[in-house]
This record gives sequence, C-alpha cells and structure tokens, in this order.
Amino acid sequence: MMLEIQELSASYGDLPALRQVSLKADAGKIVALIGPNGAGKTTLLRTIVGLHRPTAGAVLLDGKPLHHIPAHQIIEHGIALVPEGRRLFGGMTVLENLQVGAYSERARKVQAQAFKQVFEIFPVLAERRDSLARTLSGGMQQMLAIGRALVASPRILLLDEPSLGLAPIMVQNIFTVVQRINRDGTTVFLVEQNARTALELAHDAYILEQGRIVGHNSAAAMLKDEQVRQAYLGYGGKAEG
Amino acid sequence: MQTIIQNLVFGLFVGSIYGIGALGLSLVFGVLKLLNVAHGEFVMIGAYACYWIFVGLGIDPFLSLVIVLPLMFGLGLIFNTLLFEPLTRLETETKIRNSLLVSFGLGLVLQNGAQLWWTGDERSVQTSYAGLGFNIGGVVFPYTRLATFALTLIAIFALWFLLQHTRLGKAIRATAEDWEAATQAGINIRWIYLVTFGLGVACAGIAGVLLAVTFGFQPNIGFVWTLKALIVVVLAGTGSVFGAFPAGLLLGLAEAVSGLTIGADYREVVGLLLFLTVLLVRPQGLFGKE
Amino acid sequence: MNIQPAEIKNPKSKIRNTLSVWIALAGIVAGLVSIPQWTTNANALNLLFLIFIFITMSQSWNILGGFAGQISLGHAAFFGIGALVMRVLWIGGMEFFIAMPIAGVVAALCAFVVGIPTFRLRGAYFSIGTLALAEALRLTIANVLPTVSTMPARYIAAFDLAQRYYVALAIAVITMLATYLLMRSRWMLGWLAIREDEEAAQATGVQLLWHKLAASGISSFFAGLAGAVFSFQQVSYYPSSVFVATWTFDPVLIAFIGGVGTLIGPVIGAIFFIAIREQLVITLPSLHPIIFGIMFILIVLVFPGGLVDIGTRLQQWMQKRRVKSS
Repeated sequence: MMLEIQELSASYGDLPALRQVSLKADAGKIVALIGPNGAGKTTLLRTIVGLHRPTAGAVLLDGKPLHHIPAHQIIEHGIALVPEGRRLFGGMTVLENLQVGAYSERARKVQAQAFKQVFEIFPVLAERRDSLARTLSGGMQQMLAIGRALVASPRILLLDEPSLGLAPIMVQNIFTVVQRINRDGTTVFLVEQNARTALELAHDAYILEQGRIVGHNSAAAMLKDEQVRQAYLGYGGKAEG
Repeated sequence: MQTIIQNLVFGLFVGSIYGIGALGLSLVFGVLKLLNVAHGEFVMIGAYACYWIFVGLGIDPFLSLVIVLPLMFGLGLIFNTLLFEPLTRLETETKIRNSLLVSFGLGLVLQNGAQLWWTGDERSVQTSYAGLGFNIGGVVFPYTRLATFALTLIAIFALWFLLQHTRLGKAIRATAEDWEAATQAGINIRWIYLVTFGLGVACAGIAGVLLAVTFGFQPNIGFVWTLKALIVVVLAGTGSVFGAFPAGLLLGLAEAVSGLTIGADYREVVGLLLFLTVLLVRPQGLFGKE
Repeated sequence: MNIQPAEIKNPKSKIRNTLSVWIALAGIVAGLVSIPQWTTNANALNLLFLIFIFITMSQSWNILGGFAGQISLGHAAFFGIGALVMRVLWIGGMEFFIAMPIAGVVAALCAFVVGIPTFRLRGAYFSIGTLALAEALRLTIANVLPTVSTMPARYIAAFDLAQRYYVALAIAVITMLATYLLMRSRWMLGWLAIREDEEAAQATGVQLLWHKLAASGISSFFAGLAGAVFSFQQVSYYPSSVFVATWTFDPVLIAFIGGVGTLIGPVIGAIFFIAIREQLVITLPSLHPIIFGIMFILIVLVFPGGLVDIGTRLQQWMQKRRVKSS
C-alpha cells in the first residue's frame, strides 16, 4: 500500500468540491482517475499536494498523514505533481526549469542520476536545454513538465490531464513515457478526461463525478463495463473517436 | 558644447542611482506582487545611515555600504514580516492595492520619524576627496560620481549573478513566474518573499548611500525618490527587473536634456510626463515585451 | 461593505427613527450655524473651518475612491484648480458666490478631460498615474506662478471670518447631502459593482468609463469647491501649495480612518484628524503623521471598516453584554 485517501472532503468557500472521497494507489501501479469536467479531479490533486486544505478526511502516505504538511515539503516525501496546463517557468530555460525541479533536499541527493535519466527519456530536452520554456512546442512543454517533476525522483507521480491540448501522436508519446516511468518503479496517479487511453494504460481506475467516487474497478474491467463505455468512452449511440 | 556633454555625463551618473533604486522596487513588485511606495523612504534611510556612519565613526561613505547593506536588508526583513506578510494570501489585484496603502502609511511614519529623530536639517556627506576629479577636454569627471557609477554597475552585476546563476536566484525567479509550481518543487515561498523584500530594501540602501555622496538630503526626499523609482519601473516595464537600469540611465539623461533645453525648472515635469505617456501608450514599458 | 445598516422592525418605527435622525441632524447644523453668534474666538472658528474643508475633501475623495473603488492619488490637483480659479475670479472682481461654483465646475471639467486617458489604467496603475499627473501639475504651477498670492488690502479690511465659516459649513453640508442622495441613486449601484469586480460589472452592463467619469467629475466638483473656500479664506499663500500631495494624502487618511465607503466615515475621520493635529501642532508636529500613519496601516490590515465599524462593533458588544446581564 502506498497513497491512500480517506473520506476526503474539500470546498471552495461554501461550494463543496470533494465529498468523502476515498481511494488507494498501490505501489508500482498506474491508477487512473477519470470523470467529467468540473468533477473535482484537479481539486483532489491540489489537496493531495497541499495547495488546497481539506475540510475533512485524510491523505496518507504509507499510513502517515500528509495533509498537515506545508505544500513545499510534499516533494520531500516523494510526491511530485505535473500540474494541469503544465505551469512551466516560461521565462526560464529548459535547464533552469529542471534545476528548479531539483530544488528540494530529496532531489539534490540524487540530482546527477536523475538528470541523466530525464535526458535519456527526453533527449529533446537536452538538445533544447538553453531555450526558454515558453518557446517550446506544446508537446515539448509537456515533456519538460514531466521532466521537472521527475528530477526529484518521486515515488509517486501525479499527472493532471497530461494529454490536454496535444496532438494525438504526442499523446501516444507521452503515455508511452508514462508507462516507462512506471516500469522503472514509480507509482503513477493519472487524472484524465481522455478516458480510453488512460484506462488502456492503467491497472486500476476510479470514476469521480460531482466530487464523489462513483466507481472503482480494475482498468481492464472498466473498459468492458457497458455503463462506463457509454458515459466515458463514447460508445453506445455516440460516434467513436 | 562642453556644458552639454557635462550635463549629459552628470545625467548618466544620476541616472545610475535612479536605476539601482528602481531595481529594488521592481524586484519586489515582480516577485512579491507588492507595490511598495515607501521605497523612497528606504532610500532616505540608507542616506542617513551612510551619513551617521560617516560622521559618527568616520568611515568612508563608500565603505559604509558594508554596514548599510546588511542593516537595510534586516530592516526589509522586519517590515516584510510586520506589514507585508499578512497580505501574501490575497488575490493579486487586492494585494497590490493594499500594499500600496500599507506602504503609503509606512512612508508617512518613516518620513516623520526621521524628521522627529534627525530633524529637518539638510545633510550632506563631505569627504576629503569630494571636489576632486579629472578633466577630459573641459568635461569634469568627479571621483565620487565615477565611484558611484562603478558601484551601481557592480551592484547590478552582483544581483544579476545572484538571480541568474545561484540556486536561490533561480528559486526567486521561479517564484516570480508561478508561485504554486515553485511550491511544488519544494521552494518555501514565504522565505523567498522575505529574502526578496530584504534584497529590494538593500537596493534602496545602495541608492541612499550613493545619493548621500551626490546630493544634500532631508527626511522628506522619500516621496520624490519613490516617484523616480516608479517612473523608471514603468519605463522599463513592470516585468523587466534588469530593464530598470537602462531605464534609470534614460531618465537621468532625459532630465539632463530637458534641463538644457526647456530649463531646469521643468526637469521633473518632463520625467513625470514621460512616465504618463509610457503608462498610457505602452503599458508593458519601453524594455518590456508584449 | 456596510452602507445602509437599515434595521427594519416595523415600518412605523422606521419612519420614526428616520425622522428623529433628521431632526438630530438639523439640530447639529443649527447648532453649528449659531456658533459665530456667541463666540468670536478666531481659533475655534478656524478649527471648525478646517474640519469643514476636510469633511468636504475626504467625502469627495470617498465618492471616487471609497464607493467607486478608484484609488486616486491625484485629488490635490482638483483642490488646487478650484483654489486657483476662485482666487483669480474673485480677486478679479467677481462675487464669491458666483466664482465658487465656477471653480467647482472647472475642476469637474478638468477631471473629465483627464479621466478619459487615465481611466484606461486599472488598480494601482491608476493610483500612480494620477499621483504623477498631480505632481506634474504642481511643479508646473510652482514654475508658472512662483510668487505669493496675497489678498488686496481692501479685501483684507473687509475680511469676515464668520462669513468664511458659513461658506465652509454650507459646502460641507451640501457635499454630505449630495453623497446621501447619490447613495440612493442608480449610480451608486454601478460604482459599488465596479469597486467589487470591474469585469463582472461590465458583464452585467455597467458602462465602466461613463460611471468612472461621473464619479470623478462629481468628486472633483466638490474638491474644487473645497479649494475655492480655502483660497477664499487664505490671506496669502503660494499658489502651488494647494497642489501639494498632502491635500490628497490627508483626505485619503481621513476617509480610511473614519470608514471608507461610508457616509459618516469622513466626518468622524475629519474631526478626529484635526482634533489630534491641533493637540500636537505646537509640541510635536511630526508625531501627528506618525500616529495617523500607524492608524492607517492598522485600519488597512486589521480593521478595514475604520472607526465607524469599530464603533458599531463596540456598540454590538456592549448590547450583548447588557442582554446577558439582564
């Protein structure tokens, strides 16, 4: 067992965003969280990494509570987030973005090794190391965002909509990389609207709707589930994409 | 012809002080998203610190920087903790507005505190080498002014090196660009804000010391120096920290030129009109990007 | 923010309450009107004169800064313009009660002209832009009119302090009444909407520029009147001295300390401000801005409602205690 979320609730002012969400991500797995826009997926991730405070419930890492830890210390516990929309430091170079990614104590210990690994996975980042992040293409920006999280050699990688705004070929690339990162031993928690690709990749999956977990199963089972297919995979009446 | 060149040279020298002063304001605005209109009062305090160290301890004003810089940095830490820390969680627009108001109150307190403590007498730092300099074709280069210019260059290089090539500097820049993403990388942004505010006030301290060897000063000069810094920051573009230095030189030159052409009485007006024009026509500044 | 803490119990008592408030106000004004009848103490009259000027100034700033949320730092310019126009016309031979409204209108027109470009600026940029504009104007006036303006001898001979007192009182009362009426108008809704969220206000159909220009024009009209009264009263002064930023900063301090965005705040703030300043003016003049600077910071950081709000909270707390003990 690794990351566990217990009865987590969060709100924006009076508006509830998460209602007693419980889920688990076992070590070494890829866990997908799918659900429609506005279901609270991003809020869940932001709550896990301490950018948003829960109103109730707990976030546990190996049984130890995380939700009281200041946001900047989350990375020291081995949890790295690749945020929605990438959120790169646009006015800084590729290399500088990675160096900032390696700011934490945890990252500094393994810096040389981690940089080597990132450049091996994304050779293009090495080539463009001195370019400003804002001048990169969307796909390369996503690679840099993942690279920036990876240089801290996280135990768990949280990915928020990594396929957003990318060309289909690039989406494939990114997901191949995610699979590889997972095979190297990193647990992956993947939040996606692109449900089919996410389910094909994942071992385990949860469905979040209106702040509630409404479904949980192995990804393979979910791909076969008629209701899921109708609601999220575009089968049953709707045109297949 | 000599007079013209002399004026331009002095304009550049003064402009370099504007530049380093404005740099501090720009840094604080860029990273903390705070508009500190008490910045000029910090310049004033820097000038007094230099003066008292010179008069009381007999330490050369340029050497006094060794004491003034940490002093001002510490002052920045204190005021940030007391007055500006409470604003950090506000949404940007409200934060800027409230910081403007809070620092306006702070400026009043500092100016009148200085008045109460040090009286309104005009002070100046008269070194033994104050009148010395050399002469190229009738144009005078006083040593103090040259040293001032050299020191601003050194200070700016040091700051540039800090921001571009150190771990702390990269963390400061990352925080300025996206504080949430910086937090995720493990950066304690409260600490970054604290240090950056200290650096900003230290820049004001440098400007204060250099001002003290160049001009006479009183407790009420803060307002004018805040205005100068604001003018320079807007000329440079609010996102452009290092644009502040060339913009400062430009303001110094513009004042010199307007002093020569339409009379010394309108020097200040020209700076303000330049400021308004840029603000209205090119809000991203002369050196900023779209 | 609290604008009309209207307590509706039953309509009858509401009417009775409103009526008693109006009677009390009429009583206060009548009392103020009668003061010159039973005292000729110049100090007392001058002090009250200053309070009236500051009520007018900070209430006029409050219309633009407090209600419409446009933190102008150039208010002194309109005070100065009003003073200048009044001085020129009045000393030129015009009756003061004709020159004075003209001074106000000129200030308002200037605000309109200046407003069209400066209202392109938002938030803090508007603040520093107006500050720079007012400073540029002050420096220009100091260069163009460098000499002291002194009243002609026959004006000094005919100088009647009580008359100045009445004029200042009248203008303060008019400003307060106008603000009261504005608060019940549709304009106020638009201004508050702009203050709270400019983009949302625009989305709901509030015409931004027009509303801002109106706030600025009305605000500057009263600032111009205040300036006109001031120059009507001063025997001699430097024309640039009424343009200095202090004439902006003091009204801003007063409005915030009294209660920004409230009707009564500027009155309480002005009385408080002048009272404390008078206490310290001889012994420690620098201490006054220090005290007010600290108060201002505390108000912005901790008590954004100002003295009015602190008073209300205190009252509620006392009531609660009374209820508990009975």
